[in-house]
Amino acid sequence: MTDMLRAPAEVKYADELDWLESIDDGPKPFSWRLSPKMVRLFILGSERADGLDRDVEQKWYGDRSFVERSIVTLASDRGLLLIGDPGTGKSWLAELLSAAISRNSTLVVQGTAGTTEDHIKYSWNVSMVIAKGQSRASMIPSPIMTAMEGGVIGRFEELTRSTSDVQDALISILSEKYVSIPELDDDNIVFAKPGFSIIATANSRDRGVNDLSSALKRRFNFVRIPVVTNKKSEAEIVRFRTEELLRRHNIELEVPPTLLDVLLQSFADLRAASASATSDDERLESALSTAEQIGVLEDAILHSNFFGARALTAETLASSLVGSLARRSPEDLAILNKYWHGIVEPRSKEQSGEWTGFLEGGRQAIATLS
Amino acid sequence: MSNAFDPLRDQLLGAAQALADGPAALPEILAGIVDDVDHALREPLEIFPVCHHSPASALAMLRRLREKQPKVVYLELCEDLQPLLTELRNCRLPVALQAFASELDGFPKESAPLSVIAPVTESSAEYQAIAYALDTPGVELVLVDRSTDHVFQWQPGAGAHTGSGEPEEDLHGDAVGVEIGDLRPRFAELEEHLLHHGRVRHWSEWWDQYVEQPLAGADHDTYRQVMTMIGSLFRRLAPHDTQRFGSDEDRERYMWTRIREHLAATGTDPADCLYLCGAFHAASRLPEVGSAPGTPDFAITPRTGTTWLYGLIPSSHSAIEAQFGLAPGSVSIAATTWQKQLTRLRLTPFRLDGQKGGKKARKALPAPVATDPPVTDHLTGYLAGPPALDGLDEEELRGWCVDIVRLARRNGYLASTADAIAVFETSVLLAGMRGRARPTPYDFQDAAITCIEKDTVPGRRDVRRLCEILLGGDRIGQVGYDALPPLARDVYDRLAPLELNLDQRSIQRALLDLAARPELAPCSQLLWMLRYLLPDQAVRPIMGSRKLGEKPIQESWDLDLGRHQRAIIELGYEGVTVEQVLEQRLRRDAWHPDATAATALKAVEHSLLFLRSPRLTDELGARAVELLAAERTVDDAPDVLRRIRRLLGHYRATTPVLPAWCERFVTAGYAHYCTLLPTAFVEDDTGVRQVGAMLGFLFDLESLALSLGCDRAQLEIAVRQSHPESPAKLALLWAARHQLGDLSLAELRALVDDLLGNPLVVPAVPQYVSGFVQALEPVPRMAPFVVETLSKAFGQLPDPVLLPWLPTLITTLRQHAAELVPVLTREAGRTFPATLAAIDGWTPPWHARRTPAGVTAARRPPAGPVTALLAAHPASTDAAAGLLGCAGEWGTAHDVPEGGFAGPLPLLTAFPGTAGAVEALLGS
Repeated sequence: MTDMLRAPAEVKYADELDWLESIDDGPKPFSWRLSPKMVRLFILGSERADGLDRDVEQKWYGDRSFVERSIVTLASDRGLLLIGDPGTGKSWLAELLSAAISRNSTLVVQGTAGTTEDHIKYSWNVSMVIAKGQSRASMIPSPIMTAMEGGVIGRFEELTRSTSDVQDALISILSEKYVSIPELDDDNIVFAKPGFSIIATANSRDRGVNDLSSALKRRFNFVRIPVVTNKKSEAEIVRFRTEELLRRHNIELEVPPTLLDVLLQSFADLRAASASATSDDERLESALSTAEQIGVLEDAILHSNFFGARALTAETLASSLVGSLARRSPEDLAILNKYWHGIVEPRSKEQSGEWTGFLEGGRQAIATLS
Repeated sequence: MSNAFDPLRDQLLGAAQALADGPAALPEILAGIVDDVDHALREPLEIFPVCHHSPASALAMLRRLREKQPKVVYLELCEDLQPLLTELRNCRLPVALQAFASELDGFPKESAPLSVIAPVTESSAEYQAIAYALDTPGVELVLVDRSTDHVFQWQPGAGAHTGSGEPEEDLHGDAVGVEIGDLRPRFAELEEHLLHHGRVRHWSEWWDQYVEQPLAGADHDTYRQVMTMIGSLFRRLAPHDTQRFGSDEDRERYMWTRIREHLAATGTDPADCLYLCGAFHAASRLPEVGSAPGTPDFAITPRTGTTWLYGLIPSSHSAIEAQFGLAPGSVSIAATTWQKQLTRLRLTPFRLDGQKGGKKARKALPAPVATDPPVTDHLTGYLAGPPALDGLDEEELRGWCVDIVRLARRNGYLASTADAIAVFETSVLLAGMRGRARPTPYDFQDAAITCIEKDTVPGRRDVRRLCEILLGGDRIGQVGYDALPPLARDVYDRLAPLELNLDQRSIQRALLDLAARPELAPCSQLLWMLRYLLPDQAVRPIMGSRKLGEKPIQESWDLDLGRHQRAIIELGYEGVTVEQVLEQRLRRDAWHPDATAATALKAVEHSLLFLRSPRLTDELGARAVELLAAERTVDDAPDVLRRIRRLLGHYRATTPVLPAWCERFVTAGYAHYCTLLPTAFVEDDTGVRQVGAMLGFLFDLESLALSLGCDRAQLEIAVRQSHPESPAKLALLWAARHQLGDLSLAELRALVDDLLGNPLVVPAVPQYVSGFVQALEPVPRMAPFVVETLSKAFGQLPDPVLLPWLPTLITTLRQHAAELVPVLTREAGRTFPATLAAIDGWTPPWHARRTPAGVTAARRPPAGPVTALLAAHPASTDAAAGLLGCAGEWGTAHDVPEGGFAGPLPLLTAFPGTAGAVEALLGS
């Protein structure tokens, strides 16, 4: 284990990637480290039918065709834009793809309102420019430019959060595949090496913030990642991410499967309630995504580990759920209160088990917050 | 005995041993499927296993038929559908064979109508067999599956239909679908497993990749063995204890019993026959299965007494997909594949003579190839290797890419040639990634979505839908004129003067100027009947209406018969002409167990509007009288009143005498409502509105009823017997008594004033007023009084009582706006001043009438000869005043002008004759 708080995918799965590379005999496009089939295997995990010597863990949960379409897009001429609700695993998929294809998932530009064209192209080391003048040495290449030079995948997170003129700087990078540096007299064009591509992510809820121009849309293939609603795969995702978390924190704590069921069920209930609500006031502000669920569980685990009896209880889970979801007072609290009285209470009477503790913990948390 | 399949069986058993941790049944299953294939191949009567909507099956069938040219073809299809098959030649496929029953005998009545459909597409093995057998001389086609009657006998509680939204998908209505060769894993886990490991999204794609394509070019033996094996596999993995499995086994017994019967009856050599059935049935090992004489027969239960009617209805690819749970677009893709394979293999398919939608290549069949090679193992090859797929057909893919971009552009997408290139590249890459040599339509679809679909869908259709359209699109069949039932043909014939293309699948606007073109009147009549009989969208009037007493001048209609052909065809199962069906429906409505007098009157009205058959109208009218006399409730009284008024109006305007049933209805109604009146007044269940309508009937039709021999005393007694308790009904009763002369207006007014003056009763006053409002209908002359009472109520009721009541009043008035509001507003208009200025000086007439006696005295009577005469001879006036209870005083005589009055006096003095005669007459 490294001493990084959160190791990027290529470091974390370095062994596995090495091994996959060693057995990969499929055709590799450009400078890819793995063939498309192996990339898919790395992301979606192996099965017995694949006949491999060791198991490859599934790292991203979702429809197989999304992964296939994403890989194929990267092998083609266009950039890949992963679009979906917050917490659907877009960035994680992007990270896994770049780790598998180019063993480097850290060439990331984070799109914000403050992102400028310099962040996408290049900027200058001012003191060096003063000392030695403008040259390639005094230039600071952006992650995207670095990716171009190295023939690897560059990432652009939250593309729609950056302003339109900044977004449009990508147009020439994606079509001409070079960046010119007019400040320099010679060696003033950086050409992208084969294998370069861009994975961008965009939040479908913020689509209106800075809509993409149609010129840029044309240069991206869109892959829409839906919210996971399948209970089985959602349980898998939550289990997978929590285990990772426990490992990272060296926590010896068991998450009882019944408690996981309670969590999944309550999120499913709240999602159904949100879907049938008619106004925003009757709807929780949270998107109730899988990531949010993981957050709730993570919070509960950390709380029980450091402050509790080193065992996860339904009460802690309930108070963590209330704490994470009650963002607006009184709207969110009112919805949660209604949920606790209308659904959790009858259910605890019917099924008892973990629901009883869940009811109690939630009630207390709501009382504290209101 | 050594066998061609022994090595394969050994190999599979070895594999089962290797997977020792697998389920215990594994060796049995693996060896079993080989045995099943072996068993099926040994059968002397050639079993030809097929799968529905499989071009590979159709191709194999086509080649086998050309090669073998069997004398008899047995087909797994309901045996009673046989006569319909030849009608297929008049249709454009896909159409569905339909058996329909509305009059049930032996099935629960509430499950009517029963309907079974069997869709037929051109790219199916069964159509090839049908076309070959029907158009080749000397070949017999025998349908051997259980009859449609048995479908329902064996299916307790047929599933309810949930209508789908798209009209194309709902072409089959709520019919039960039967298909030849339903082949699909019978439990969800198996299908999921196959899809997962096959790396495909849905069943149609799995089938296409693992069975369809490898078998497309396969020889007959391979095809037959592989299909039987797949059938056997699914059969062995199907849950055996289900009702469906049991029914499937019974069907196999049934079919083989029929086949043996036919063989025995005709003495045909089994070797000259071909039995086309689903692969699932081909792998059957039941003891009753086999053509050998002596095989035990299945006891076929007799059909029920239900009369089944048969016809063809249009079908569509999407309707088939929706009904049989196939992936959207899969049937269309199958049709495209079929066409492609035909071109590639240079085969001419069998087509029925006269079939629409294609050209007929009539070529004599080559002589049959009489080969019967020994059975060799073709399974090992199929099982051992990966699916052998066709190479990349670049030309085709390029065509798709260009077309999808064009289609996307037309649907609002910003797609360009660059997208076409990207789709091509992505399709190839995706196929490579999924281990296919060439992109399947499904890969192409995925690639198109990846490259063209952005964050929003600009038009009505997304790229997925566009791909479906591109890859064949939905094809909708049409039943040709000659294959239509007589009723439908009649409808088309009679609508011909409209000069519209009624086959077109779009809305046609018909404009009927009946004044200029009176010959269109029958069309209009027919359209109104269809409007009554068909679902809402089929024919829709845009302008024009049909009511009693109206003469149409111009009408315009939206006709959508092209898309509702099924509805017309199903109408054809009910009768030979529209009129006959309409008559049946009207009779059915009137004689329904739940029918009331109101429904019967409605039927009478419709019969007058649409059929103009006095006989039927009289029968329905008589039925209405019967129903009315038997009714024990008066819930429908308002409806009855409205309808009988309308009908009487119609008859009075058009016929010299009322029909006998009308007279009987009025007399029966008079007696009936008189009898029920006292109870209706008391019962809580009967509303004020109903009682009002009863009184309306009694008062409104009173003169007619009395002229027909009814006795008014009956009504008077009934009213006297009524002792309602609820305030509203009490008010109604007062109104009735007023109408009968039992209660004067002054008394009525005094009653109301008492109510308003009594603080204990005030909260209930609104209810009284409501009762008076309802009395407007039966006693219209009470209108001034109702206006007065309403004004008083508004003026005097305290707000806590008045305000909660207002909404109730408004909703009541709104509900019965047609009857109540005109009377009320007219009267109010008469009573209240019209201008704002006049209000200040306005005194309500009821106040004016009640002004004190002194004021009245101060008012001078008009001067004139009448006054003078009355003053001179006061006796008669005094007597009248005494009778009315008026204590008045005579005015002084000074009003008489000096010298008497002018006016008639000089005239009378000049000609005294008349006055003298009057005097003599009066005897003074």
